[in-house]
Amino acid sequence: MNDEMKIIREVSYQAEVCYNDAVKLGEHAVHAIKANHRSQLTNLENIAESTFKTSDVFDYIKRQTARQADWRKPYSEQKDADSNLPFGERLRNYLEQGLKLRLKTIYDHLKIDDVTDADKQERRRIHLLLIRQIIRHMVVNYEYNVSLGNSKRREQ
Amino acid sequence: MKTMPTVAQLQKIWLLSDTVLYREASNFVRKFVREQHCNPLPSSQINGLLSIAEAARYDDLHQFVVHQRDRNWPPSKQDIKTFYTELEKILSHMQHKRLKDDFHLLTDTDGKSVSEIRNEEKALMALLAREFIQHLVAENGLLLAEAEDKRKQDWQQSKVGGKRDGNKYTKQ
Repeated sequence: MNDEMKIIREVSYQAEVCYNDAVKLGEHAVHAIKANHRSQLTNLENIAESTFKTSDVFDYIKRQTARQADWRKPYSEQKDADSNLPFGERLRNYLEQGLKLRLKTIYDHLKIDDVTDADKQERRRIHLLLIRQIIRHMVVNYEYNVSLGNSKRREQ
Repeated sequence: MKTMPTVAQLQKIWLLSDTVLYREASNFVRKFVREQHCNPLPSSQINGLLSIAEAARYDDLHQFVVHQRDRNWPPSKQDIKTFYTELEKILSHMQHKRLKDDFHLLTDTDGKSVSEIRNEEKALMALLAREFIQHLVAENGLLLAEAEDKRKQDWQQSKVGGKRDGNKYTKQ
């Protein structure tokens, strides 16, 4: 197996481990953003897919949190340790800090050090690959719940 | 003549943006608001700064920052002066020391004329400053929204408090 395939395998595996967290973030997004502003999450997904920098994703989340009051809504009903945080802050904390253990596992498995610039760039790329997968899972879950809510309303 | 950064330089700038500048820009704004007790920059100021950082050459950006620093701001807007004073220090330090000594971004200067080296330095500084300002703007927006929410909350509480006091008064 070549190195790139190994990276894809490790990132996908860790993204699976994070799946439940992504689902919860998706539920928080439904609670906060509702169906009105779907494009905000689609834009986030587009930025994550197209950028070379993790900080572009964090900056976008910060800008949305600043501009949209919806992104500052907590979801206390979810009763998780971080669900009382505003949606944007919770999402950013998770992507910035919450993935550290998962990333360390990947770096250890793939023996990627933190010494040279090449190592650091590879670590950053892997962080971005994991962020992309989690955002994808979160957005799919958000879309699913929003459409489920819409069809329930139509049935009623 | 305009100098184009190499792919290696661009990759290094992206790395620095994620690992150094993002953290430093966020800390700079937080320190400005929380420790120096200044207000976050208003949206109009911050959007102007971002537009110049994104569109202009480094010389123009630096000139803008110096101009904002040296303006005769009224006492109610002294925070803006403080902000630009600090930002100018950061950019100058980045240009004159960190670019070469910490970031190791300048390519081999052997055989290059002084103006070529200077052009390369400015092209790199434009990119670094853009990254730093983009991060700073995002953090500032967050603190601005936080302050606005707090102001609304305080206003609502004072309204509720006022009503309660009013009721007490009528009962008495």
